[in-house]
Amino acid sequence: MPEALRQKIAPVVMASSRVLPVTEGLVPLIPSGDLRRGSTIVVAGHAGTGATSLAISLLAGASEAGHWCAAVGLADPGVAAMAELGLDLRRAVFIPRPRAGWAEATADLLDGAELVVLRPPARPNAAAARRLVARARDRRAVLVVVVEEAQRWPVVPEMTLTVASATWQGIGLGHGRLQARRAEVVVSGRHGAVERRTTIWLPSATGVVAPAATVR
Amino acid sequence: MVLVASGITTEGGRADEPRAFAEMLEVIVRRCPFVRPVRLGVAVLPARAPSRFFGGEEAVVDLLRRDLEDSDALAAGPLGVGVADGLFAAWLAARRSAIVQPSGTAAFLASFSLSVLGRPEMAQVLARLGVTTLGRLARLPEDRLIERFGEDGVHCRQVAAGEEGELRGLRDPGIEARLRALLEGEPPIAQPTFFGGTSLSAERALGSARRVQSWAGADAVLVARLFEGHDPGDRAALVPLGASGEAVLTATAPWPGGIPAPSPMTVLANRLPVVLRDPAGDPVGLTSSDLLTAVPGLVQVEGDRTHEVTAWAGPWPLATRWWSARRRRARLQVLTTAGVGLLLGAEAGSWWLLGRYD
Repeated sequence: MPEALRQKIAPVVMASSRVLPVTEGLVPLIPSGDLRRGSTIVVAGHAGTGATSLAISLLAGASEAGHWCAAVGLADPGVAAMAELGLDLRRAVFIPRPRAGWAEATADLLDGAELVVLRPPARPNAAAARRLVARARDRRAVLVVVVEEAQRWPVVPEMTLTVASATWQGIGLGHGRLQARRAEVVVSGRHGAVERRTTIWLPSATGVVAPAATVR
Repeated sequence: MVLVASGITTEGGRADEPRAFAEMLEVIVRRCPFVRPVRLGVAVLPARAPSRFFGGEEAVVDLLRRDLEDSDALAAGPLGVGVADGLFAAWLAARRSAIVQPSGTAAFLASFSLSVLGRPEMAQVLARLGVTTLGRLARLPEDRLIERFGEDGVHCRQVAAGEEGELRGLRDPGIEARLRALLEGEPPIAQPTFFGGTSLSAERALGSARRVQSWAGADAVLVARLFEGHDPGDRAALVPLGASGEAVLTATAPWPGGIPAPSPMTVLANRLPVVLRDPAGDPVGLTSSDLLTAVPGLVQVEGDRTHEVTAWAGPWPLATRWWSARRRRARLQVLTTAGVGLLLGAEAGSWWLLGRYD
């Protein structure tokens, strides 16, 4: 038993692996079950539709496996929600308000953390964006960019996840509570690869990301 | 569900020296990464997660005791491991190596002498009234205490009664900084240890984070800390990387706890005023019994346009232990026509945004 916990506590070093694991609930979106090191993923969605939750859940599998994560530009991070989605807060650093230094902070963190979530300013500079994508590739890290609309990020990513719609369940007129959110996510690959639409719980009533049966 | 905090104390012997204490923390952190120093010789950790993992509080206490006794780091000396609800009770439980169930907190505290509060003048005055134990103090009326001792008197009564988990002054806010200063240049007690191991990847990640700190300022780079309390899973704070213990205590106030998961993905550090109105446009407030005065119909967060409210839940009164009942607080979840979930806070007739379910 002590050995089991020791293993759980000691961060797993898998520097030689070419991929980082994703949490089980995201497999409908990412059938390979992992994120390629060095890649950039764009997560798009309007405020309040769950794009930030989706971005954080992309980190969960790797975080649980012992990798370090960083979040740049998430101005007021709700760390309890992040922990519920599977982010291990012991191995996460936050730069909530990098202001003009957003690109520099992201570049620095791509050097040291395996996964970096970035919410860039409304109109990120294209040259800065290209440098960050190149940095993620060089450092074999994963860059997850959260934007309102996918085209706001000026570099074509390896994968784009767009939250097309989201509906909360469990809340009524003065009763219940925000319990679970059903989100339709569009997955697209590079260069117009075939789009897929998938419905997931973001999160489910137990606070995690999970596949949802499609309602017809 | 039983939520407890455990206190671990060593009294006398080598553990009262900072270096031995740091070694003691090293022993504990290997099993329970969330351990925090409280003051010299006293460390605390949330008991819920490890007890679930090891199968009960008793098993955790036994394991920690064995670890500490077996370790070469510690010379044999008096050692106490205890579990109770709240830091203060757990600290006393450790003196008696006891496991106190939450329902038994007040009874457990009652027999202790007032001297454990560390307020000799108050103890002296109360002794003249025949009040010498926490149990007697717990039964004194608060209005008399506030007259004689001010707000601290009320605080001590609540601590003595087990209504308030943490005694002010029990924590030494500089302890972490002092331990770090003492051991500077000695890697075993470096900051990453408290966050779960000093691996190569931790060194790299924290190195890059410190580089950002070097040009963006120490306050620009934050880490989350979970600490003991009634709901350890929700008790989190963001503090600058490398901050001392004091920052942990002051950063907790706006935390929206008490509502089950999912928690809001955005939790505002500063109050953002909100106007909540009924469908006719009249303001919605709270009655004295924490009910809404009208049905919410329109919500406007400062800096944003007005949205229609399609559903709401609550209000949930905030379980505050503030001595005065004048500060009524409540929380309300609202869902807008845009499908956006908001968590609002209310106090004294005004609303503000606590969080958003992004």
